[in-house]
Amino acid sequence: MTLSSVPTLDSLQRRTRTVLAGLFGPEIDDLPADTPLPETLGDRYDSLGAMECVTAMEKEFGIEVDFVEHDVRYTFAQLDRIAEFVHSQLEDRAVFGGSR
Amino acid sequence: MIARLAPHAPKGIAVTTGEADLWCTYAAVRAAAWLDRTGDLPGRVATIGYLSSRRNTDGGYAWSKGMASDAWATFYCTQAMAELGAEIPELDATRGWLRETWSGDAYAMLPGQAPDVWATHFSVRSVVELCGDTPPDLDRLVSWLRALQAPDGGLGWSPEHAGAADSDVRACFYGVMSWRALRTVDPELALPWDGPALVRWLRDQQQAEGGFRFGPSADIPCLWATYRATAALDALGAVPAEKQSCLDWVLDRRTADGAFVRWAGYDVADVWASFCAIGSVRSLGADTGPHAVPVLRRLHELSCPAGGFTYREPDQAGDALSTAATALTTAADDPRQEQWRTWLAGCRLPNEGGVMYMPARGSEVRCTLWALAAGAADADPAAPAGIADWLADLQNPDGGFGYWEGRGSDLVSTAAAVEALRLLGIPVSDVLDTTRLAEFVLGCRDEQGHRHVPGAPPTLRAGLQALRIREELGQATAGELAALLERHRVSSGGFANVGSRMPDLLSTYEAVVTADRQGIFVDFARLTVFLDRLVRPEGIGWTPLAPTGGGALADCLGSLLRERIEGRRADLPALTLS
Repeated sequence: MTLSSVPTLDSLQRRTRTVLAGLFGPEIDDLPADTPLPETLGDRYDSLGAMECVTAMEKEFGIEVDFVEHDVRYTFAQLDRIAEFVHSQLEDRAVFGGSR
Repeated sequence: MIARLAPHAPKGIAVTTGEADLWCTYAAVRAAAWLDRTGDLPGRVATIGYLSSRRNTDGGYAWSKGMASDAWATFYCTQAMAELGAEIPELDATRGWLRETWSGDAYAMLPGQAPDVWATHFSVRSVVELCGDTPPDLDRLVSWLRALQAPDGGLGWSPEHAGAADSDVRACFYGVMSWRALRTVDPELALPWDGPALVRWLRDQQQAEGGFRFGPSADIPCLWATYRATAALDALGAVPAEKQSCLDWVLDRRTADGAFVRWAGYDVADVWASFCAIGSVRSLGADTGPHAVPVLRRLHELSCPAGGFTYREPDQAGDALSTAATALTTAADDPRQEQWRTWLAGCRLPNEGGVMYMPARGSEVRCTLWALAAGAADADPAAPAGIADWLADLQNPDGGFGYWEGRGSDLVSTAAAVEALRLLGIPVSDVLDTTRLAEFVLGCRDEQGHRHVPGAPPTLRAGLQALRIREELGQATAGELAALLERHRVSSGGFANVGSRMPDLLSTYEAVVTADRQGIFVDFARLTVFLDRLVRPEGIGWTPLAPTGGGALADCLGSLLRERIEGRRADLPALTLS
């Protein structure tokens, strides 16, 4: 992957929304990207729900999340932050190489 | 310590979460159902929400959020929801989970555990009454139930307990109620035991005062034993030999406001006593009507704002784990320490020598460990021997320990029992059968690692618990702990219970405790980074993904761990939870 081939933030946000809708249902479709997921999903977005979300995003984009190094609780609290995180991971991979 | 033969509610001060307790919630709902008054219970919708929130994605239910599903919680959650008229969600998944707990002969509390009569009762009733299903092999189940009868005529917790003539009225109740539930599947199913001998043994447990004891080794009669005995007798078509004196004894347990206490002399009416009293009055064929108003009034006082019920007024309903956790993380010279320790010491009540999770319940091995670590036995020279005797009786025939009497063995409880003796300064070999203890630990192990129960997946915590037990037995193997820690070390900080990706506080705490015991190096700088990731505005979370703090227990483990890392504490108590 080269830097120019990294998907745009908009397209990553759309794919993120699709992944989350697959996990939590169609209410994700109309959710503003900056809405806190724990508030919207309540108990469904507890640590197990968040774990499912992390795993699904890793699979979708071929990235790996570090639960200590990365501030996952902050990052995975909103749809736009998740997309931005994936974007930066894909950019890093494009620049530094390596993939899972 | 208080005088254990004159029970009264613990003195001192306890820490309460203000949250509902699952057993209390079931007991409240069931008692109201027996009175045909569930519609009068407060907070129906919130209580259903509380019960359904215990459901895990595997279809089973857990005692608290985040814990593994077990048969106990699955029965109580689903039964209480059904009594409240709620629809049980995704029943097919629950049916599938229950099949996972079938051992081939009977049901276990957890998939892969040895079966016991507690679990068998819960799961038989859940399978038959909730799922409309049948057990996988009725003949083998009935054979297993038949083997529960001990030579004295009573029933034991398992066929192995029965072989040791360890009968208990609770085991009799669960066995008899399992048989009764199976008759809805096969109405012709004959009683699998010598009925007259069973009735005779149950009747023999009635004491001169009129109430029943658990069995010959119990100190005094209580409402818990009286309900289980009278209900078992009723299901067998029998009554106590002294029926009227039993009823009089039950009614004498009423307080001035008409609610019930579990023992003569106890001074707080709790939800369990009301449940047992109403159940006993029904089983004895007497009118429950006169007790409906005072019992309902008391249940209202025990309801929690967020749904469910606890054993007494929520602002006074302390529990042993929260209280011990708070005491462990508060300065030793804090004046409240003595009050907390006094309360914990008072959680040792008659019949079972360990510390109860909540007063007037049954003693539990994990709670005993936490209370001892918090200093609950420091002021009573008689406590160590009493607790050691209780642990000796609690050891299961397979050599391990369960959470409470009669429950199947697991490594968490077995490690807790061994550590409790360590804290008391009593050699394990003075109290326990160390050969069988080692055999149980070995039975939880294969080439992939140690398991919480023999048939569960291998985990770090099970490995740590097993290695600590083996070290106490003088059987530690060089290099094994270092290799286990390396397998579960998360490179950026902390330890994971499964694999090496997602670190959690409990596993990391136990990893440091065990590494300290064997002098193995742990990178504290990386642990600090991990601990920092757990900090929330309201406390410490269990994992980096947890949206909120984990309450008093997580705060305790996180604080102790930080003190150890920063050199303010030389070692850590080997506390276990799950």
